[in-house]
Formats: sequence, structure tokens, C-alpha cells
Amino acid sequence: MLKDIRVSCAPHISQPLSTRSVMIDVIIGLAPAMAAAGYYFRVHAAILIAVCVLSCVASEWLCNRIRKKPNSLDDFSAVVTGIILALSLPPKLPIWTAIVGSVLCIAIGKMVFGGLGANIFNPAMVGRTFLTASFGLLMTTWTVPATIDRAMPDVAQENALNARTQATPLAWSKLAIKNELGADIYGEQQFMPSLMGQVGGCLGETSAIMLLIGGLYLLIRRTISFHIPLAVLSSAFVFGGIAYLLDSYVYVQPFFHLTSGGMLLCALFIATDPVTAPLTRRGMWLFGIGVGTITMLIRIVGEYPEGVMFSILLMNAVTPLIDRLFKRIPAGGKPSV
Amino acid sequence: MSVQLKGRFSFPGGVHPPEKKELACESPIQPGPAVTEVAVMLSQHLGAVCDPLIRKADAVQAGQKIGDRDAFVSAPVHSPINGKVKEIALRSHAVIGRGLAIVIEALPNNPTKRSHFTLPDGFDERKYSAEQICEAVREAGLVGMGGAGFPTRVKIEPNPRLPKETLIINGCECEPYITCDYRIMLEWTNQIIAGVRLARRASGCSRVFIAIEDNKPLAIEAISEALKNAADGDRIAVAPVKTKYPQGGERQLIRAVLKRYVPTGGIPPMIGVVVLNVATAAAIAEAVVSGQPLTHRVVTVTGEAIARPGNYYVPIGTSVEDLVEFCGGVTEKCAKVVLGGPMMGIAIADLKTPVTKATNAVTVLTREQIGRAKFARRQTACIRCGRCLQVCPENLNPTKIAHAVKHNLLDVAAGYYMNACIQCGCCSYVCPANIELTGYVKTGKIFLAREKKKMAE
Repeated sequence: MLKDIRVSCAPHISQPLSTRSVMIDVIIGLAPAMAAAGYYFRVHAAILIAVCVLSCVASEWLCNRIRKKPNSLDDFSAVVTGIILALSLPPKLPIWTAIVGSVLCIAIGKMVFGGLGANIFNPAMVGRTFLTASFGLLMTTWTVPATIDRAMPDVAQENALNARTQATPLAWSKLAIKNELGADIYGEQQFMPSLMGQVGGCLGETSAIMLLIGGLYLLIRRTISFHIPLAVLSSAFVFGGIAYLLDSYVYVQPFFHLTSGGMLLCALFIATDPVTAPLTRRGMWLFGIGVGTITMLIRIVGEYPEGVMFSILLMNAVTPLIDRLFKRIPAGGKPSV
Repeated sequence: MSVQLKGRFSFPGGVHPPEKKELACESPIQPGPAVTEVAVMLSQHLGAVCDPLIRKADAVQAGQKIGDRDAFVSAPVHSPINGKVKEIALRSHAVIGRGLAIVIEALPNNPTKRSHFTLPDGFDERKYSAEQICEAVREAGLVGMGGAGFPTRVKIEPNPRLPKETLIINGCECEPYITCDYRIMLEWTNQIIAGVRLARRASGCSRVFIAIEDNKPLAIEAISEALKNAADGDRIAVAPVKTKYPQGGERQLIRAVLKRYVPTGGIPPMIGVVVLNVATAAAIAEAVVSGQPLTHRVVTVTGEAIARPGNYYVPIGTSVEDLVEFCGGVTEKCAKVVLGGPMMGIAIADLKTPVTKATNAVTVLTREQIGRAKFARRQTACIRCGRCLQVCPENLNPTKIAHAVKHNLLDVAAGYYMNACIQCGCCSYVCPANIELTGYVKTGKIFLAREKKKMAE
């Protein structure tokens, strides 16, 4: 009667969740930002995203082959890494640079640690940091969106550096700080465009609205909790607000910092990467506050106009310490023995 | 004062698995199969294993004591049928793997069906002294019938060092699928209340709460109705609790109803609380009033792969095979036979495993219910999403404990308070990577206990 009955430890039922479904949720959450990138940067966006995703997937497959490990592509985490990397790159980055970055993301950022779940640093940020350090000029060449410059989607241009470029809002605000220019009017002028995305910048960082929609989807699906995004954004707002109150002529208003640059992409999609974020709620608060504060420190005091990737990597490094700091105490208190 | 407390009591953490109570909740308690052979386990409770009192080929009467032990934490076992002892041999046991059982063959022309107990009119618990009640409970071999099987006498007996104040009757039945407590509350309401009064008298508790999950409005209503007319209705209150797993866990229930915490590694009497299952309460009434030992119990036979799910009053010692056969057998899709509910029950490989006093259900699950990934035992690496931390009702860090055990770092696991785990299974239930966290914790606990034993020697 019964030939194939199985024995295992309890529980015998489970929620219909898998690592893959979590990753697919993140991809869906990133879809509005990808659509905005496609709208503003046209074919460049499609090329860059496709190249990054494909080379991430290919390098994960290759790493698994070399390490003689079972194939791990079916969890879709390489796709997520590829998309996040693409969204944090300048639109007209040469394809070979994107490929180098993607290979580094997966090989150095993830696979050398032992694959998904074992990496200390966010893979996409590892790749992007490498590219910024190695190809500084290419990584800071911002093309204007196609909705401003009709000639922009022209791929056949011989030299990417000849393209009509525009300083990003953040580069502009950095300039204002250094040269003590009036930042107040600029901040107000650029607030609406940066909310909609009609500014220069990385592929997926420009449209704040679309990032918020995607983030909201993840929050509703409970793929991410609100703790990290809220901590990042509120600490950045407070830091920016203090600077603004000190000297509103030089420093832009704090809302501007939230909508421009990689702040929203970071708060909603990069800092919430579960592998490299703390486990406990209190740890998440500390992690988020750290990310927001370091980002603003770099933006306002430091040399670079944007500090998201450095702050993420720095906080990733202290994540194990945060986990150790906020150890959970059982509900019944510490055992007396 | 109204009988029913306002508000929904709850605790932080927990999960909401599909309830699936509809499979068996409409089916009234029916007599079980006519058994030809029963195997009465000598260990059906926590504590010392019984010694057999009879020998092979002896004739036994229904209700005769066949195993006992002179230890404080123990409970005697009784024969449920008239018959002859076939052998005293090893049988599969759901909890301890294998254990000695007294196998009794029924006499061919001997009616052994026992109808369940009904409370006589004019019942008054004041006729019985506390000592009488405790003695009757001990002699009837009562143990907790919710799953753990802790001897009831030890629980309710007054202890001068740990005085008891509050009695909580657990009618939550938070495990999916199981409906036996629900049917008992609906059909044997008066017995439960009589048992509650006896338990209160024996333990000296001043306050009594009957906690029922709010997905059983009929049961809440039935018990409130029965209490309304009672003279001492103001000392017994019905507390509706939120439907959530593991609401029926002893520690969670105390936290929900009383807002008090049982110390880690401690037991409820330390804060003056006793928790009894509703089925145990009904059995106390039976044991004290009629003097009948605990030889039968209500078992829910349910699950998608069973032809006729229902609640049956069966002799203890009936094999799972007989029960399943009686319910029309299993369908093709059967993938797992579980003693207990799907969250904490134990999957058995041997269908000859007998029902014990603590077996509340036989759940037969299909592959769809188990889930494809779980069925294939496909695990990915932990992605540290933290879901297990959020659902843990004891506020532990399951992923850290499990990975410490996996790498044989028992001291690290103990440092994350591994022994505070109640093994409810919430962490394994939510894990997207499909890691058997509860399994690792259970293994770690066993290893740690062994290591400590070795050190002591």
C-alpha cells in the first residue's frame, strides 16, 4: 500500500518561498527603475543592462565550473547583481568596461568567498568600486538624458567622451561647496527633475519616483523590511539638514540629497541586500544609520561628490560586528545557570 | 463580571500556516475501529519508563493496570481491552524510536468497545479532597494529552516550594489539521468544566483561564454558555486568543494570557502557573468521577491523502495502520504519515507504530502539501534574510544556532541560547533557502546533552 513514504524532521510543511522567489521579487522591484533608464537613455540602457546581466551569469557559471561546484544559476542572484551593477554605471560606459566590472563583481565579490550567502561585501558595489578606482574618467562621464538631448541615443559616436555631457546634480553641489557658490537656487531648480529623472547620472539612479515605486513593491511583498531604508534616508536627511541649517547658501537642501545620486537605489535595493546586512532589527537600524551618515559625510565633507558605494562597503565590513553587538536575548531572559 | 474576556491575546513572533481544520472539524467524535490487537507502550510519558506487571500469556481485563513504576515522574499504563498478553516486545515508538510494548490480543468473543464517559447529574467537586483527586489522577495514568505527555499528577499536585495561583486550560489547538480538542470542547463541554474544577481544587489555583483560539467561535461560545449558568462562573474566564502558531505552546500561551514570562530553562510552576490541555481536563473528570483509567483517547485522522478524515475515540495501543485502514485507507498521493500535526508531529516509517496517550492526530500529507522543494530536500545557502529571527517566538537567532551546529561548534550554539528553543518549527517553515533549522537545533541539543553526560562521568 505504502511504498514511498518519507521520514524527516518536523515541520512537514513550508511556506511557498524560495531563494529564487526572493530574487525574482527583487528583479520585479528593479523593473520600474530599468524602465525609467530605458526611457531616459534609450538603447544605451538596454545594452548596458544586457551586457552586465549576461556577463555576471556567465562568470558565475564559469566560477562554478572551475571550483567544480554544482551549478547555482537557478537562484537568479547573479541576475540581480548584474542589474544593480548596470543601474549604478554611467549610461555611455564602453561595453568592455562593463564586462570587466561584471566579472569582478561575481568572481572577486562573490565566488571567492564561497558563493551566495558567504560574501562579505555587496558584489555589485565591489565591481563598481573597482571600476571607479581604475577608470575614473569613464566612470564620471555623464551624458544627458535623451529627453533633453536628441543626439544622445546615437550609439555610433566614435568617442564616448565627445558626447554632450552634463554635470550631475551631486557634482554640481560639490562644486558649490568647494567654490562657495550659491547652492540654494540650484537645489530648488533641480529638485523636480531629479525626482522624475531628467538629470544626468547613473543609469538607474536618476528617477527617484520609479525607484520608490519598486521599493514600495518590495516592502508590500515583505521581501525587505522598512528598517534599513528608513534608517538610511532619515539619517541622511538629518545630516544634510544640519549642514543646510549651518549654511544654506553653500549646502543644498536635504531633500535634494535624498532624491539625487544613488541614495534611493542604495537605501532600497543595495543596503537591503540580506546577505551583507545585519540580521537583527536593532542591527539594521545601526547599519542604516551608518550607511546614511557615511554617505553624507563623503558628499558634504569628502572629496568625492557621491559616497554611496564606499559607505555600503564600509558598513558591510562591520556587519559581523554589529551582529555580535546586538545578540538576541531569549524571551524568558538569560538562563540563570 | 462577564465570563468571556475582551480582546485578543497574543505574543510576538509566530507564523500563520494554512489551518486546514475544515477537513475534520465537522465530523463528530465516533468510536474507532474494533481492534484485534493492541500494543501498549511502557513509555508513553516524560519520565521513568514503566515496568511490566504481567507476564506473557496472562489474561488481562479492560482497565487492568499492566505497567507501573514507583517513580515520582511517571504514570502507569492500563490495558484498553479484555484479552491475552501475546508478548512483551520492542515496537516502533514515535518519540524514542523503539520501546518495549505489551502486545495484547483481543479475545474473539469479547466486546471491548467502550463508550466515552458522560458526567452524572449532581456533580460537585467539593465531594473530593485534593489528595483524592491527585491519587485518582495518578492511578488512572493521566498524562498531558496535548503532545508532550508530562504526568498530570506532578503538574497539579500542590508543591509548597512553588505555590500555584493560575490555571490555564489550553484549548488553542494551534497546529494545523488537528481538530480533536475542538470536537471535545463542543461535545464534552460539561466534562471539561468538571475537570477544570477538579484540577483547580487539587492544585489550589485561584484563577482559571480557558484559552481558545478565535478561529473556533463555536467552542468559545459553547464553553462561555456552559460557564454562564455556573455558580462559580466568575472564577473561570474564557480568554479568546489570536489564531497563530504556536499559540498553544505553554510558554507562548502564558505570555499571551498573563503577559508574564516563564524564565528560560524554567517551567511554568516557577511563576505559579499550571497549563493543562482540554482533553486532559476531560480525562481528569473521567478519572476522578468514574475511576476509569486512561485507556482511550480522541485521535484526529486527517490530511489530504486520507479517504475519510474524522475524529475517533480509539483504544490506546491501536496501530496507525488499523486507524488509517478504518478511515478508508490512503490515496495514491500519500507522501508522509505524521503522528501529530504537520508543524511539530513526527513522521513515521513503520505503520505498526501504536497510538500513545499523547498522540492527538494522524496526519497523512501529500506531496503538494509538503512543497516541492522540501520534498526533494533541496537546500540553498542561507541568504541571511532574517525571517527566522522575526518569527521565532522565543526571540532566538535560529540561523546562527543551526550553522554553529552544522559546523559542530556546540559551545557557539549554546552561546546563542540553543537550549531555550521550544522546537516549534516556525523557522524551518518560513526559511526561503529551505534549511531544516529546527532539525539542526534538535540535533545540537542532543549532542550537547551527550557531551555534558560525558563530562560528568
